Amino acid sequence: MKFLNSVQPIHVVLALLLVIAGITAFVLLSEPPAGATGVPHETIAGLSVGGDAGLTLEALGSAPFYFQIAVILLSGVLLYMGVAAHRRDHRLRLFFLLGIGFAIFSWVALFLTYELWVTSGKTTVFMGFPTPTNWMFWGIWGSFAAFDLFYVIFFRRYFLPPEDEQAFNDLMDEIKAEGGDA
Amino acid sequence: MEELRQPIILSCVAAYMGLCIWVGIWAMRRTKSAGDFFVAGRGLGPVVVSLAVFSSTLSGFGFVGGPGLVYATGMSSIWMAVCSALGYATGFYLVAKRIRMVAEVRDTMSLPDVVFARYGSETARLLTAGTILLGVLGYLATQILAMALVLQSILSATEMFADISLLASVVVSSAVLIFYCVTGGILASVYTDLVQGIVMIVAGALVVITAASVFDGGFAEASSIMLANDGDDIMPFGTLGTMASLSWYFLFGLGLAGQPHVATKMMMNRNLADNRIILPMTVLGYVVAAMLWVSIGVIMRALVIGDIALPLGAADEAAPVFLSTYAHPLLAGIVFAGLFAAIMSTADGFLNIGAAAIIHDIPKAIRGRSLNNELFWARTATIVLSIVAASIALYSDKLVGLLGAFGWGTFAAALVPVVLIGLNWKGASARGAIVAIASSLAINFAIQLWQIEIPYKMSGGFLAMLTSMILFIVVSMMEKQKPLPKDIDRVMDL
Repeated sequence: MKFLNSVQPIHVVLALLLVIAGITAFVLLSEPPAGATGVPHETIAGLSVGGDAGLTLEALGSAPFYFQIAVILLSGVLLYMGVAAHRRDHRLRLFFLLGIGFAIFSWVALFLTYELWVTSGKTTVFMGFPTPTNWMFWGIWGSFAAFDLFYVIFFRRYFLPPEDEQAFNDLMDEIKAEGGDA
Repeated sequence: MEELRQPIILSCVAAYMGLCIWVGIWAMRRTKSAGDFFVAGRGLGPVVVSLAVFSSTLSGFGFVGGPGLVYATGMSSIWMAVCSALGYATGFYLVAKRIRMVAEVRDTMSLPDVVFARYGSETARLLTAGTILLGVLGYLATQILAMALVLQSILSATEMFADISLLASVVVSSAVLIFYCVTGGILASVYTDLVQGIVMIVAGALVVITAASVFDGGFAEASSIMLANDGDDIMPFGTLGTMASLSWYFLFGLGLAGQPHVATKMMMNRNLADNRIILPMTVLGYVVAAMLWVSIGVIMRALVIGDIALPLGAADEAAPVFLSTYAHPLLAGIVFAGLFAAIMSTADGFLNIGAAAIIHDIPKAIRGRSLNNELFWARTATIVLSIVAASIALYSDKLVGLLGAFGWGTFAAALVPVVLIGLNWKGASARGAIVAIASSLAINFAIQLWQIEIPYKMSGGFLAMLTSMILFIVVSMMEKQKPLPKDIDRVMDL
């Protein structure tokens, strides 16, 4: 418990960066199958088509899946660091849990529907695009757009409360009175 | 109407350039000091700042290179755009408030000034300024080249300018850019950004509507054609696959706040509370403008891969061909003006921070003070920087490639740990900052210089950024935390 209490957000950031580095090293060391990053179109110059996505998924295993989960968690912890320590309350933590939870849910939905298409060739087109692509547009973008919205709504509670603004103005007054740095 | 297509396009572009010149003259009367020239005296309103932030982020790449990439490789590159919500969130949660406070407390004019204020290290300031200068030269050269190529393609379609050379196109387009940047400094830059941002939003919205009407079944029909002919291309990872896409998401999502031309504009708002308005306006502006990127790319790929249209000569022709074939001439004119807007709004930001690095930051780091008569030297440096970048663009393809690729990844890898983490973690040290910047430069240069092919086409900038972030934290943790100057310490508590 004492150890847990001493863990700061920066420690979690470092741990997640190391996880991402580990997954990246695994990917860099794995042998890419032929056409893993596309193959030239047979007749149209300058245009590439997908290789065997199934083979690529097999070669990488779950690496991309866990890579992105680590990136989402890292993003969440970094954003959490952007709120002053004395302002971090239960409501903030609850929002972050829900926000990051939705981001991970969107990513899982994207990846599973993509895997389904790779293995079965089945997908549905909704609002103009296949289901996994919609998860990318609305889920991946939308989950962090929720953090943007949170910033707007709770700006005066977490990001620039009136007392913090006053404290900054006081600091500026001191600096001006001293004619230099405080 | 069709026969008037070229005159309409030319008129729109000429009107836009005329507007830029007028803004330059207007801003010149209001630019009286180096502070006005570099940070607009920290007196800008929220609308101007938000449009300036988003239009600086979306360069000509979003209007030409982006649709070209979707045409060539499907949805892979869209990860650079869907990360925008995260990118702006990190920018405003972690950087916007603190950088604006530091700017006011220490009366800073540039990002290297902020780095010095935070770390108290002239070496960190010098490395930041050097990184900015290197990245700016590369970015600026590619922007000038893109601007000249577009102007050449428009003018060469007319009888009068059918044989216009690339050199002449560089001279004409750079002259407009240099004029308003030299006369009005950042004030002209942000007010042209305001016009440019509006043009980009209008262009983005109108193009999506046009693109949706190319097929009777809209985007659903385009998706069905792509699913029937390839499938990978319209899926979220495109033809480049998962790791290329996800490495771009990391680099662009977490790297946006490390872009100096974006971070610098976060120092310019009049009131700290304006950030509440600036963030949503920036995000919405970017999303609407970036829709052009997705829609043109998808429609052109579906048309070509479905044997409905002829293949393009080059991927970057996707946007110009779409506009000349499917868009109303007036819309084509607006979008071409929007294209110049996108390129110029990024280029003018680079010119400004590059000039600041030359006449303010580097002299301060080396001899402890900046040049006398900064305003005069700022204008001179802007001209010299433009000429050097234009020369690189014209005479050294290899250097453009090297420095161009250096751009975003270099800024992100070198500056994200130092700025984004450093402004929110008191334990960050000057040595950590120096190691992070130096290692990111070394990795980025090595990858470019030796043309290292990274498996699964993962981004080199991502590898450099990941390494520099880890080194920054580890090196800082290995040191005993030094007390911060009182003013910075109090700012970091807020």
